[in-house]
Amino acid sequence: MLVPVVPFALVLGLAIAESPLPNLVGWLGSSLIFGGSAQLTVVTLSTEGAGLAAVVAAGLVVQTRHFMYSAAFAPVFAGQPSWFRWLGPYFLIDQQFALTSLRVDDPPDSFRRYYLTVGLAFWVVWQATVALGLVVGPVVPGEWSLDFAVPLLFVGLLTAAIDSRPALVAAVAAGAVTWATLGVPNRLGIVLGAFAGIAAGVGASRR
Amino acid sequence: MTLSVVALVATVAVGIGTYAMRSSFIHALADRDLPPAVREALRYVAPSVMAALVVSLGFGGSAGVGWAEIAALSVGGVVGWRTRSLPLVLVAGMATLWALRAAL
Repeated sequence: MLVPVVPFALVLGLAIAESPLPNLVGWLGSSLIFGGSAQLTVVTLSTEGAGLAAVVAAGLVVQTRHFMYSAAFAPVFAGQPSWFRWLGPYFLIDQQFALTSLRVDDPPDSFRRYYLTVGLAFWVVWQATVALGLVVGPVVPGEWSLDFAVPLLFVGLLTAAIDSRPALVAAVAAGAVTWATLGVPNRLGIVLGAFAGIAAGVGASRR
Repeated sequence: MTLSVVALVATVAVGIGTYAMRSSFIHALADRDLPPAVREALRYVAPSVMAALVVSLGFGGSAGVGWAEIAALSVGGVVGWRTRSLPLVLVAGMATLWALRAAL
């Protein structure tokens, strides 16, 4: 589980270091968002000159899957103390959900210990690796083209997300609509494409 | 607005929004569940957003995309499709890019 997290965080740190954005965007994002796809979306789109509305909308749409995690954990968290119900959701990244949802039948205090241990481990590894990318970025020779790792990472995330026929329909429709709306200013075409893809995926799954 | 201001404001906004989503059902909606239609739609968020991002960044950007880049992205796509492993996609794609650049 930790293995995909490390290269992702490294690419993110490198991307911020090689962008015209201040490193503060990296520090702030890793701690405030604590989510790789959304942070990479914000960093990449704002570097490309997208408008604020498009950057925020794309970043938030990427994160909507967290509603599912939150709904799934609501009964588990209901028996936990108040401080944990406030702190816990902060750590609820994809890998955290995947690992800790296997332990929801544990007694509440042992679930809580496991959840916090796993969450802190991911958090520390994430922050340290993004920081490493930020520091190493300026030293890496330009000929290595490490900035190319960003589109590669998005291609990897795309192929991982296509796990069914409706998901493939969603991806194709989203790509086509985005391509057709490339002329829309501030890259709002991404948001249009995303919603078209979601609609197409739902439509395809009902047939 | 400069690029940096957009990035900083968006980072704070997406950060707040992310915590709100992660805590939504744990706090405010504890006695409710996601409507089935919404749950269904959420399954297609990831493939849709990622496809939109790849197309927008690949074809709408200022940077020129050459044959080596297209080949490397294609190799990355095939490796991702076969293995579903992000580290392997990165290694295979970067290796393809470097090899083609050295050869051409």
